[in-house]
Amino acid sequence: MSDDGHESECYVCFDTERCNGCTRCVRRCPTKALRVRHGKVVQRRDACIGCGNCLRACPQGAVRAASIELAFLKQSPISVALVTPVLYTQFPGVLPRDILQGLKRLGFTHAVDMSYFFDTFQCATKEFVQENRTTGKVPWPLLSPICPVVLRLIKSRFPQLIPHIHPIERPVAMMADEVTRILSQHYGVDEGEISLCYINPCPTKKGIDPKISEPHFTNGGPYAMGIRDIYTQLAREVSHVRTSESLPGASAGYAFEQCTSGEGFIWGMSGGETRVCNIEKSLSVSGLDETVRMLEKIEMGLFREIEYLEFRACTEGCIGGALTAIDKYLAKSASQQMVRILGTGRCTNPDHILPLFDKSWFFSEASGCASVTDHVYTPRPLTIDEMMKIDALVHLINGQDCAACGAPDCRTFAEDVVRGEASVDACLILRAKGITGEKAMDYINSKECGHACQGFS
Amino acid sequence: MDRLKRTYRVREGDFIQAGEASIHVKNTLKALNFQGALVRRVAICCYEAEMNLVMHGGDGTLTVEISSEDISIVVEDSGPGIEDTERAMQEGYSTASEAFREMGFGAGMGLPNMKRNSDAFHVDSALGRGTVVTMGFSGEGGVHE
Repeated sequence: MSDDGHESECYVCFDTERCNGCTRCVRRCPTKALRVRHGKVVQRRDACIGCGNCLRACPQGAVRAASIELAFLKQSPISVALVTPVLYTQFPGVLPRDILQGLKRLGFTHAVDMSYFFDTFQCATKEFVQENRTTGKVPWPLLSPICPVVLRLIKSRFPQLIPHIHPIERPVAMMADEVTRILSQHYGVDEGEISLCYINPCPTKKGIDPKISEPHFTNGGPYAMGIRDIYTQLAREVSHVRTSESLPGASAGYAFEQCTSGEGFIWGMSGGETRVCNIEKSLSVSGLDETVRMLEKIEMGLFREIEYLEFRACTEGCIGGALTAIDKYLAKSASQQMVRILGTGRCTNPDHILPLFDKSWFFSEASGCASVTDHVYTPRPLTIDEMMKIDALVHLINGQDCAACGAPDCRTFAEDVVRGEASVDACLILRAKGITGEKAMDYINSKECGHACQGFS
Repeated sequence: MDRLKRTYRVREGDFIQAGEASIHVKNTLKALNFQGALVRRVAICCYEAEMNLVMHGGDGTLTVEISSEDISIVVEDSGPGIEDTERAMQEGYSTASEAFREMGFGAGMGLPNMKRNSDAFHVDSALGRGTVVTMGFSGEGGVHE
């Protein structure tokens, strides 16, 4: 599939030159957004939730995450790097301030650390949970709004659970708002003059077109750059910062420019959010398959005694993001070391945060609903008749989910056929059994096929 | 009228597969666009029934029939049977082993939960001849086709 001119529409794009149609990505896509047709991968862009599984799975390097070029940012008079502490973990042993300095040397006007906003989120979350333990207004368990992939997953596959999403504004959204507001005042310019760029551990930002924004991801600052995409350049600058003592320190004029705590590092690891939020009855889940399984259970009414569930689509948490540069276990060890060196503790003062909380400052209907209102594809519902045909075809194929047809598994293939999106001739198993496409269609369209004892296909 | 019928086998003691049949039923109902609240009730009942098979049932089957007007679930097992079905319907009554309780099961809520979440409910059992649980759900207004 050509990606010319459409790069901005999706979290990832595929290089058809490199793709050899192996179906590895197809089988690992959690929303079944990929198929192989005529030997190349094709993508249902609106079904993509940006999890990065295809990036990880592709042995050909044919998958790229949307990212912008540094040169593009340099055209902007005021560019701001929004930095998750995950970036620091990619440089074991290097202090955060040196990395922020390195970003400035790369050309960013400002480099802002997210820890302050994590801290704010944590403060508001703790308060919210305590306040609602007895009100009966909250559908337990609350689901963490932090991981955008999980939010989109809930929207597309578990819409019944949307009311469970914790309604506190996400740190990255708070950050984008606050940084834009303060800097536009500082420089006396329009908010539109400030270009924010999130240095991203995962491909969860769509490309460079500012018009296609997810309002509550970075609030109108829709640029993103993968950690991996700037890693080598940044590493060069960072080593330079570390060897030259003469550079003036960052001018830390605002509260959020202070970055002294190791707490931000905890957030990058699975279990970090529940640890810092200190909610007793909480669970932390990481990895996409595990997340899906957990959401399935919650949808069946389990875990109602749990108050808070942290989800991270990536194994081990954000340090395992598909756009990180170093091994996640190395990053984990680096994080733990940094927590020891910098210690933990707040960067915010709860006395400042809580009055704002009382004024509903941090609520966004947003987190619950709007942040997931960015369009997520849901397939047209099937009729019972269609479902019976699908069951019949699955039974007829009786295959092993070989994916040679280009669909991830036999059931999805059968669904594609019944929806008229694929030809039954694509199934090698049917061909090997000598069942022609015509015969197969006759069979599933006849009522005599009845039902079969199901496996779990 | 079209009726979709599926039978799932559930094996006693198979905690790894436990819940898979319920998830499959739940996702089928979602794909058919049944109302969320109804899907949830059916899923809760399926899951409780499935766990009962895993814990006590010997091997058994879970059969689901779906039409646009109603859903029925029949759960059959070859387990030891229930000595006193009325008692088994009381909340908190359980014959689950200590080991299962330590795993978080056996709270004595299974059958009462199924009854509460279904529109029609029947248990047929006696010692030595296994158990058949039948549940019905009215799909009225369920499918928004």
